[in-house]
Amino acid sequence: MAERTDGKTWIGRGVFVLLAFVLIVFDLVPLDMRPSLWAAPDLLLAATLAWVARKPRHVPVVVIAGIMLMTDFLFMRPPGLWTALVVILTEMIRRQHRDFRNMPLLVEWGTVTFGIVAITLVNRVVLAVVMAPQAPFALALIEMVGTIAIYPLVLVAAHFAFGVSRAAPGELGSKGQAI
Amino acid sequence: MARDKNSEDFVGPIRRLLVGVLVLALVGLFLIWRIDSPRVERLRAAAIDAVVPSFDWAMAPITGAANLISDFQSYQQLRAQNQDLRRELQQMKAWKEAALQLEQENAKLLDLNNVSIDPQLTVVTGVVITDSGSPFRQSVLVNVGARDGIIDGWPTMDAIGLVGRIAGVGQNSSRVMLLTDTSSRVPVTIQPSGQKAILAGDNSLNPPLEFIENTALVRPGDRVVSSGDGGVFPADLLVGQVALGTDDRLRVRLAADYQRLEFLRVLRSQLHEVIPDPDNLLAPEAEFFGPAVIDPAVLSTSEIADG
Repeated sequence: MAERTDGKTWIGRGVFVLLAFVLIVFDLVPLDMRPSLWAAPDLLLAATLAWVARKPRHVPVVVIAGIMLMTDFLFMRPPGLWTALVVILTEMIRRQHRDFRNMPLLVEWGTVTFGIVAITLVNRVVLAVVMAPQAPFALALIEMVGTIAIYPLVLVAAHFAFGVSRAAPGELGSKGQAI
Repeated sequence: MARDKNSEDFVGPIRRLLVGVLVLALVGLFLIWRIDSPRVERLRAAAIDAVVPSFDWAMAPITGAANLISDFQSYQQLRAQNQDLRRELQQMKAWKEAALQLEQENAKLLDLNNVSIDPQLTVVTGVVITDSGSPFRQSVLVNVGARDGIIDGWPTMDAIGLVGRIAGVGQNSSRVMLLTDTSSRVPVTIQPSGQKAILAGDNSLNPPLEFIENTALVRPGDRVVSSGDGGVFPADLLVGQVALGTDDRLRVRLAADYQRLEFLRVLRSQLHEVIPDPDNLLAPEAEFFGPAVIDPAVLSTSEIADG
């Protein structure tokens, strides 16, 4: 692919991978092995979607697939299915990200909400069809709602802590390429 | 916008094709997992084995900070705890006397019966590296693996009670499926009534007991130990106490301290002796004592006809 990539974009990619690593490690730290009554929001998914909607160049599809497959393996999920769904969702958002620039936040949030609900549903339906063991419904629901609710907060964090925000119309990278 | 739609057309279709191939490959991996789960699970164990031990340095500060916070909280409770402990100590002294006497008596009785405690039940101790990372699966990763001779299915305990079983062995690490996991099923015996049941994990802290024959004989507070049925676990490993759940189901309050699992003991569980033909166990071929006129072969055939 004949894409010009400047140093900033490479740094952005590195930052995203580092952030994903930190989120995964936080999930894995063995502090309390009692089963919890609620499920924490899927921060990794929210961050990935936020990054794709704001700075798609910083999250190439290969990076998303790699990280998600790794979490599939680490978190004892059926390997591949969730990764495939997240890749499809991010590709759809990636295609729309130019339109998001001119639209209010609610539209973006609504799209993301629809996407998360859709992939969670498809995930459960596919697992039911192949008769694979499923996560408890209530917990999955709590996690899904939590992920949707935390999306705006992730956007705020991404904007202020990582400088990931919408590109202004006509903004160019340091090599004159489109963003 | 810096570029118009036309200039994107070189890249667009190829990129879409590659993404399509990627998604197909991922779905393919999922299907292979569904069809040939053990092989992919071995791949998973190998991947985790390669990645997770290198996370140690990243986790150290987090666990350190968490311990610091819990230490501060415990300082506040220290005074109250101290008084409680003193009171408890008073009671325990009485118990200690009783235990000492019982121990001596037990030793004498064992000596009288010439009993040797099973010498094959030795342990490998491992340290918990990570938990499952997901609220839906209850498992931990310990730092002993095939290198240390760990085999799938071996029971795992903390200092007091049963914690789970080995499910997935890598070279340097292995996964322990906890009793609370939704796919954990362990045959247990409820003492003192001797009722058999299945401890079925359901992602809650107190897993329910299923298939109890006579629930009237089971009271909250009864001891639950592993039964050794089906050769899953050795018998008489402490699991916990029966408790009545808020949903009126009999549940088990686990003896193991799930709040802080740090060191786990993996029991080297030996294979059970298989008895393929229980009929021959008692009387292989009866030697016939009696009047010589009766032919034993005739007798045995007539017995079969009777039976």
